[in-house]
Formats: sequence, C-alpha cells, structure tokens
Amino acid sequence: MSEKMIEILGLSRRFGQTQALDNINLEVNRGEVMGFLGPNGAGKTTAMRILSGLLSPSSGHVRVAGMDILNEPIKVRQSIGFLPETPPIYGEMTVREYLTYLASLRGVGKGALKQSVNDAMDRCGLTAVSHRLLRNLSKGYRQRAGIAQAIVHKPDIVILDEPTVGLDPIQIREIRKLIRELGGEHSVLLSTHILPEVQMTCDRVSVINNGRIVAQDTLAGLEARQKAAKGLRFVWDNPPDDATLQSIPGVAELQTDGDAKLIIPNKNQDPRAELVKRSVENNWGLLELRPVEHSLEEIFVQLTTMEPQGNNTEVSQ
Amino acid sequence: MRAIFTIAFREWRTLFQSPLAWTLLAVLFAISAYLFNSMIHYYNQLQMQIRMSGYGGDQIQELPFTEVAISPMLGNTAIILLLIMPMITMRLIADEKRRDTWPALACSPLSPMQIILGKYLGLLLFLLVTVLLLSLLPLSIMPYASPDMGQVISGFLGLFLLAASFGAVGLAASSSTDNPIVASVSTFGILLGLWIISWMGGEISGSAGAIFSYLSLIDHYQPFLSGVISSTDLFYFILLSVAGLLFARQRLMAERING
Repeated sequence: MSEKMIEILGLSRRFGQTQALDNINLEVNRGEVMGFLGPNGAGKTTAMRILSGLLSPSSGHVRVAGMDILNEPIKVRQSIGFLPETPPIYGEMTVREYLTYLASLRGVGKGALKQSVNDAMDRCGLTAVSHRLLRNLSKGYRQRAGIAQAIVHKPDIVILDEPTVGLDPIQIREIRKLIRELGGEHSVLLSTHILPEVQMTCDRVSVINNGRIVAQDTLAGLEARQKAAKGLRFVWDNPPDDATLQSIPGVAELQTDGDAKLIIPNKNQDPRAELVKRSVENNWGLLELRPVEHSLEEIFVQLTTMEPQGNNTEVSQ
Repeated sequence: MRAIFTIAFREWRTLFQSPLAWTLLAVLFAISAYLFNSMIHYYNQLQMQIRMSGYGGDQIQELPFTEVAISPMLGNTAIILLLIMPMITMRLIADEKRRDTWPALACSPLSPMQIILGKYLGLLLFLLVTVLLLSLLPLSIMPYASPDMGQVISGFLGLFLLAASFGAVGLAASSSTDNPIVASVSTFGILLGLWIISWMGGEISGSAGAIFSYLSLIDHYQPFLSGVISSTDLFYFILLSVAGLLFARQRLMAERING
C-alpha cells in the first residue's frame, strides 16, 4: 500500500498578486481515499485543476501515476478522471450518449466502449435513466452522471471537487457510499469542507488553508487528536474564584464560558476527584460535571484559523 | 485522429440539433432564394430589351446567365453569411465554458489542436451541407437555362472557402472568451473589417494600398465568382483559416497558464 499515485512536491501557483497555492506537498497512495479539506477559497479547487491538467503550476513538481504532468500531459490525463464543482453535463444528450462520447474521447476502444459505459452507469446507479436527457434529470442524478464520466475510462485516479454540495440528505448519503466504493479500485482525492463527509469516506486527510497544507494525517490520527483535546465542564452554584481553581493540582488551563468553567486537565493528572472533594468541603454547590470532547469541527477551525507562521506544517503519518 | 472525428461528429450533430442554426439557415435560404428569383427576373428583362433593340442583327444574342444571375446571387449570399456566421461559430468553445462543460473536454487526453480541429471539422461539415443545399438554387433552373457549369462550380467553391475562413475566425474569437455574444460581436467586427479593407486599399496608393487590397476578403472572393480559381486566392483563404486555428490553439494553451 505504498505505490504513490499522486505526488505533489513544493507546488505553488500564483494568479497575478494572489498566491493561491504556496509550496504544498501531498501524496496519495494507490487505492486510497484522500480527503482534501479546507474552507472555501483555501486553494482546493486550484490544486485539483492543476492535477487534472486544466491549469499549469507556477512552480513545483506534480507526478501522477509516476508521470510528470508537464512532460507527459496527455498520458497523465488518460489516468485521471475529474469531476469539477459544477458537473460538466451536456443537457441535450442522453446519459448513454454522454458517457459514450466522453469515453471515446478518452481513448476507450470501440469494442470496449459499450461495456465501459454500462459499467459506469451500473456503478453510479444510472442504468434506469440511461435513455433520458441529462437536462431533465434531478441534480442528484446529474451529479452521478458527473461521477460516471470521471470513471468511465477506468482511470487510476479520480478527483472529485465537492461532489455533495447542493444535494439532499438522501442523495448525499448515496454519493458518499459511491465514493467509498470507488476507493480500492481507484485512488480518490475528494475535496470538501464538510467534516462528517471526510469521516465517512476517507482513509487520510489533508487540511489546506490559505494555500498551505496545515495538517496531513490518517483519520485515526485526527480522531486521536480529538480525544486528546478533552476538557471538563463544571457548573457551580457559587463558583470559586479562578485563582483557587488554578491552584488545584491537575488543572492546566481554565476558561469561563457563561456560568460554566471549562477546565483542561493536565495530561498525567486527573483533577476530577479533587475538584469534587473541594466542592463539597467548601460548599460551592456543584451542579454539573461533564467531559467535553473537541469535535473534529473544532480541530478543523483551530487548524485553519492559525496565524500563518514560518513553519506551521505538521505532517505525521 | 479518432478523437478529432468524435468531436467533429458531435459538433455537427449539435449544430443540426440547435434551433439557432436552423433559424439562421432558414434566413439564409429565404433571402438567397428571393435574391436568386429577382436576379432571374432581371435577366429576363435584360434579355427582352436586347431582343427588342435588335442589337446583334438577326442573330439573337444570349446573355451569359451565370454572369448576370448566379454570380450576383453568390455575392449577396456571402454578405448574408458575413452576418450569420458569427452567430453559428460563437458557441463552439465559448458556450462550453459558459455552461461549465469545458473541463470534460479539457481534462480528456487531447491536445488543444485536436480539440480545435475536431470543432472546426464539425463546422466544415455543417458548412458543406449548407453550400450543397444552396447549390440547389442554380440546379433548379437547369431545365430552363444553360449556366456555365465551370463558373458555377468555381463560385460555390469560393463560397465554401469564404465560409470556411469565416468559421476559422469565429472559432478563434470563440476560444478567447467564455461569453458567446462577445465572440459573435468580435467575429463580426473582424470579418466586416476584412471585407471593407479594400475600400481603403483603393484610396491609398503604393505598397500600403496593395497590402490592404491583399488582405481584403472580397477581392479574393470576386475572382471565384468570375470563374477564375487562382492559387493566390486559394492560398489566401487557406492562410486565413490556418491563422484562425493557430490563434485558437494559442488561446487554449495560454489559458492553462493564465488560469
């Protein structure tokens, strides 16, 4: 599980004065679903457009399936399927015509054409609507047609730019299931700003912000961070002053959130027993005590709102 | 090569599927037919006058039908083409960008030239059908008149070459924008400029005047209508078409760099 299908090394891209991508590094292994996470305008789409050959990089190296995108642009595109944010749909074609057209443009041989189109329609659940005009289909089906055109030529790599935006919850669930299934056979790079989507579909995650990769980790790694960042939420009837609380062994950090006090414990020392004991002794009137976990959302916000520093790229694998 | 034909065939079908192309063709045929009809009337009148005047003595002179009726019709058809071609070519690439279908083509393993050639070939097929249909007009008169077939064929060849070069200019404009209307207006501007540039050529003497005359579309179209096919004129139309295609290719390559 180490054949690298996508290798991005020091990739930068400028648009006039704007630095859209700043020295990013990224690797996607064969058969893996990589989540590409970041707020709007972070550079996700630019990176994907470069990978799919729509844009050329300002500097840096990009290798796809072992080929450099600048040296062998046409061969590279043979092994990539791309679904842009707006699915590239010809409304006046039927689903079958559409997929047949694009498959033959992408070099699927005449003999294999029908089979490839049938396979793609089958995988994306389009068989029942194969004879219908694309413009008459619902948004969910059009999105599926968009995914189908990205896999119809059986590329090694599938790049999906925010594939679930604007769909209803049932459609979202179906598309996510489909993406999950694509992994294994294809390497998938999936951009999104929706965290649960990443949790449901991806093996690894890269977080991008302001054109830089700010974190790259396995999903398990991200979840481990989530557990590590545990806090304790206390509500007292007559709360003690902050200085008293901070003097209690095991309290590393203290924040006030309305009536509640948020206590971040020391890693090695649990202050809960001591806090409860003192509450009773000093008659603080303990009303509530519960652990607070940082949601993935908060980790994400934390990562993407960090001040840009000289070296804020953490990469752990 | 197969990809070029795939794009060409699809482009050709799209053109014949679009109501715009049919409307434009209907306008082209209606006006050309009307003009042809009035040319025939004019021819008959002239013929009558010559007979009445008794010019030429006992031998009744036949006026050259092609010269009087068919060539002027082709001249006028060219002007209608000048007006409608920008609207046929405007969507070739600009519309794909406007409707966000462009990435499906641009991400396919095709060189920019393959895309351009595919689009252009599809357009040429459409123009070929158009010119062949227009040739039905003189053919319909065959039982009653005897046009000079050589001159008619030369005229229609000229019309096709003219339309093909209009198409290449239109394709170049369409590849430079994502707004079909902008493409249409700029195509029309360029074509009209090339059409009337010879007026200036007449005003200016010397080599500058000669250059203006050389650039003029109409000066290279006219000889075809008179039945003269010269390599200079052929070369001019081919050169204009190739220049249009190369410009379009350049635009597509620059797009990857400029974003």
